[in-house]
Amino acid sequence: MKKYSAKKDLKEWVARYTEDLYYRACYKISDNDLAKDLVQETFLVAAEKITTFKGESSPKTWLFSILNHKIVDYYRKKGNQPIQTEPETFSKFFDHDERWRTEKRPQDWHEEESNLLDDEEFQDVLKECLDALPSQWNTCVKLKYLMNKKGEEICQELNITPSNYWQIVHRAKVQLRDCVETNWFQN
Amino acid sequence: MKKLMHILFLSCLKASELIEKKFHFRLSFKEQMQLKIHKMMCSACTIYEKQSKVLDKSIEHHYKMLGKETELEALKKAIYKELSNK
Repeated sequence: MKKYSAKKDLKEWVARYTEDLYYRACYKISDNDLAKDLVQETFLVAAEKITTFKGESSPKTWLFSILNHKIVDYYRKKGNQPIQTEPETFSKFFDHDERWRTEKRPQDWHEEESNLLDDEEFQDVLKECLDALPSQWNTCVKLKYLMNKKGEEICQELNITPSNYWQIVHRAKVQLRDCVETNWFQN
Repeated sequence: MKKLMHILFLSCLKASELIEKKFHFRLSFKEQMQLKIHKMMCSACTIYEKQSKVLDKSIEHHYKMLGKETELEALKKAIYKELSNK
């Protein structure tokens, strides 16, 4: 059985798993600074306990279990459970029959896609609208575009079901589209 | 008949959900058909799909320009430092 030498292995794990741990933490607690602290603490605990790590699970699984304990601890201290509240945004966009509300129906933008990509002002509006979205969604998007992860991988990393995942994306995208239309095309 | 209508015709909420799902997962044959039929009858969702694609490209563009998050590199450095203090 492989023997784990604390310093060398840990260094390698920091390089390899920090991103994954960080995005999981962000998703679970929606506070990026706190997420960083928890990841840091995770590695400190790992440093203390590495002699007890037998390599029966992968290092990644082991680190994630330490992080999960940290997250549970955080919510225990805070006094509530990590309930994921679903914002009541959809009734703003769809009526009782789930049809677009007249004032929220997508309007033709009359704009070429290639023009928009190069338009700095459009990019600024987009950025502002992105920042206004729930952080859960931001985590999904970063995993997709920064880390080039596929849908299935993202679900695994965040420990959510595919339907949960595309509902988060759907909700956010409807809001994003509306925000862009209001702040860019109607101005 | 009512059941058939239900299978064939999606609401706008469901249709736009499938449009988003399609970016990340493969749609089943049934879902593809449902979406196609809905878009034939609904200009709003057709526009929505077009714009959603544009937004997806813009988001990708936006994050590609940002590059890997430098804050994560800083976090790694901080962790290395903490570990070497141990």
